[in-house]
Amino acid sequence: MNGPAEISIALLLGLTMTQTDAAGQSLDRSARPSPGPAPEVVLPAIQKATLTNGLGVWLVESHKLPQVAMNMVIGAGSDHDPAGSPGTAALTAEVMEAGTTSQSALQIAERIEFIGASMSVRAGIDASFATLNALSKHLDEALSVYADVVTAPSFPAQEVERLRSQRITALMQQKDRAAVIANLAFNRIIYGPGHPYGSDPSGTEVSLKGMKREDLAEFYRALYRPNNATLIVVGDVTLASLVPRLEKAFSAWQKAGIPAIDLPAVPKPGKRKVYLIDKPGAPQSEIRIGYPALARSTPDYFPVVVMNRILGGQFSSRINMNLRERRGFTYGARSSFSFSRQPGPFFAGGGFFTAKTDSALLELMHELGSMQRDGLTPDELRFSKNGLTGSFAQTFETAGQIAFALQSLLLYGLPDDYYQNFLKNIEHVSLGEVKRVSEMYLDPARMAVVVVGDVKAIRPGIESLGLGDVVECDSQGNPLSQ
Amino acid sequence: MKRLLVMLLLGAAAAFAQESRITVPYTRFSMPNGLDVVLHEDHTTPTITVNCWYHVGSSREKPGRTGFAHLFEHLMFMGSPHVPEGMFDQWLESAGGDNNASTTEDRTNYYEDAPVNALELPLFLESDRMGYLPQSMTPEKVDLQRSVVKNERRQSYENRPYGMAGILLSENLFPPEHPYHWPVIGSMEDLSAATFQDVLEFFKKYYNPNNASLVVAGDIDPVKARIQVEKWFGEIPPGDPLPLQSPAPVNITQEKRLVYEDKVQLPRLYMAWVTPVRFAPGDAELDLLASVLSSGKTSRLYKRLVYDMQIAQDVTAEQGSNHLASTFMIVATARAGHTLRELESVIQEEIDRIKAQPPASREVQRAVNQYEASFYRRLERVGGFGGKADQLNSYLFYTGNPDYFNEDLARYRAVDANDVGTVASTYLRDNGRVVLSVVPVGKKELSAK
Repeated sequence: MNGPAEISIALLLGLTMTQTDAAGQSLDRSARPSPGPAPEVVLPAIQKATLTNGLGVWLVESHKLPQVAMNMVIGAGSDHDPAGSPGTAALTAEVMEAGTTSQSALQIAERIEFIGASMSVRAGIDASFATLNALSKHLDEALSVYADVVTAPSFPAQEVERLRSQRITALMQQKDRAAVIANLAFNRIIYGPGHPYGSDPSGTEVSLKGMKREDLAEFYRALYRPNNATLIVVGDVTLASLVPRLEKAFSAWQKAGIPAIDLPAVPKPGKRKVYLIDKPGAPQSEIRIGYPALARSTPDYFPVVVMNRILGGQFSSRINMNLRERRGFTYGARSSFSFSRQPGPFFAGGGFFTAKTDSALLELMHELGSMQRDGLTPDELRFSKNGLTGSFAQTFETAGQIAFALQSLLLYGLPDDYYQNFLKNIEHVSLGEVKRVSEMYLDPARMAVVVVGDVKAIRPGIESLGLGDVVECDSQGNPLSQ
Repeated sequence: MKRLLVMLLLGAAAAFAQESRITVPYTRFSMPNGLDVVLHEDHTTPTITVNCWYHVGSSREKPGRTGFAHLFEHLMFMGSPHVPEGMFDQWLESAGGDNNASTTEDRTNYYEDAPVNALELPLFLESDRMGYLPQSMTPEKVDLQRSVVKNERRQSYENRPYGMAGILLSENLFPPEHPYHWPVIGSMEDLSAATFQDVLEFFKKYYNPNNASLVVAGDIDPVKARIQVEKWFGEIPPGDPLPLQSPAPVNITQEKRLVYEDKVQLPRLYMAWVTPVRFAPGDAELDLLASVLSSGKTSRLYKRLVYDMQIAQDVTAEQGSNHLASTFMIVATARAGHTLRELESVIQEEIDRIKAQPPASREVQRAVNQYEASFYRRLERVGGFGGKADQLNSYLFYTGNPDYFNEDLARYRAVDANDVGTVASTYLRDNGRVVLSVVPVGKKELSAK
């Protein structure tokens, strides 16, 4: 109604202000300041030691602040969950904090909390992680609790019950979150029930109910061994002062033979299908488009990272600029490759206004297709490489970031000089290589399309796109019987 | 008065006397146009950050235009006369930097992190929009970000479990004329109503150098950094000074009880009170009270509700401190098969208990120790939200002293067990609260009474 009036006022004001600008401004703003050569990045120096019991120790000294961070990486991730028993690694880790042969859950918690420290044991997919953060003045006290939890957990029956029911409740709560449903169902659909990457690492209600205290104790006994772990330490401590304290703290921990695991092969993606999961009345649809893609060991890691930064790996990526900044369908859209031991998932997606679900799918498919066909432009290649090079300077600021960088070396067997060569490897990526990996690893015709949303409202529009067979699934990603 | 007394006690306690000082050295200057500038050197990594606070948030909005301060934050990324649309992010990201912004009731903050070789780029970008944003603003840009913000509201509030609780609590804690009555995100209706003319007026009124403060930190040479700041920001004209806000203090004299049905599996209880503003007497004591109640397995509410009785899945207590009023909130989610009435009666017992008898000194010391450790953790990063630069700006805004780190920590070190009991009695009054039950659709019987 008052639209035209607003526009004319706008034009008028714009004009007036431009004139003021021309008169009032003497600084030349026409050329933006261009960055000089990238700064030299001082890499963290890793000092290594091995304790008598075989536990490897990697230390990066940082005396900026009076605190120490520890992160023990243990080969006991959810990839070790026994078949049919997802969630074993996760529950084992959690119960470890809840009682040892000499301390109760509350005693452990109180000692850690009293010194303002934090401690946790958590299972990831490729490993488990026992972390500790403490002020250096409290390190001895913190370390004594931490080592006790890692080396002498007692798996008290009542704590197993308590944490089991807490986890089952948390699973129930996951059903409230469309984005979580989408991620888990997407993994189940592309990896199937036969591969650990296809299961919720927290387990299912059925698997959790079936777990016995002895199963957790046995999982711990088999895998939590000093020769199956490495301790990363970052902070205000020297190797000479650290090693004797660690020897003492971990002296009772014994090495043992580690059972090998044999992961099934990752399924090959077939013809594209659309999987719908109903969330009646949802104002947004969560979309995930993708398939199992690449392991961390791929020789194409660098060209893929350079390509994905432009596809959907940063704010100014093609996907976000198109779906958010040009069309206003979403608060944010992106794409990502998760590189794991075995081929991890690639996906493109986000949360999109329900009424624009089909349009969003079309645009995502368009972006995937055009990257597959044409790769990057020379400008994009330069932006991506400069961006990765520039942001490398921020990689080693905090203890957490340094520990994470070391953890990647450990988990994926990357060479010690990996970070020394990082910039060179980014610099070497060519347009041709990007084109090759785009063609090879982005094939929208074989991707699964998973949509969590108000099915009644979105199904007709999605069907009209003709992307493939439409399958309705439950919230775990299992097809509903028609 | 009370403050002076606890400081004297602090001086007398030998254990406290040896505590180390936490300080973040800085230089500060004010530009002729009123821009307040703080520089801080940290050469740990070859990176810098530019952190800009505008002293305007949703509390300055007009009726019928809620959500505008935040919508405006989005528009700040839509380009300015010398930064074409889309290039703010692309130029920064292709230099290896990144950025973000956020809006609260009190302020809007923006940061750009970048490698040190790109220091001048964020100064150029930030100054171009501070000085000249409206020259390149268009109604189409406003429409586009209106859609993005509506999607943000869908994603972060409407499609998020319990996402509407915060909005309901503010509406009921603060009367309609109080600037904290409406939510930062705004209503869909008001977002639809915002006009291009509103954008121009808002910019003119609030986005002035004399209503902003700028922190430049990291691997900088402060002498050179000052010259660059003066170069890029010096020509921006000041605006009219803003009147101070002084809403009438909120005094709730009768308990309000609300029930809201949401698409959730489990019911959740919220109890909320209006409490002293950030850094006022009582604020730190309420932080410590919150820790004693809910931080860690051995905290009072966690231990009873979650650990021992296992009738709750989680419980938190928090003093949310702001400029014009704060909110103390206790939030607990019931386990399946339990009602919010059961949770409320236990919480009430614990509130009554801590009012009747102060906590043990070890409980308070534990909470203080946790705060001390958190102060060091907060010094790790220079940039981003909550990094040192953002904290310097925050302390500057709330206290007038950017390096208020040690004074802030001293507040906690000075509190004793009696103080914690006293704030519980003074502020957590039964008739001065809002009690909200969020229950699964159709399950009103699970609510608190």
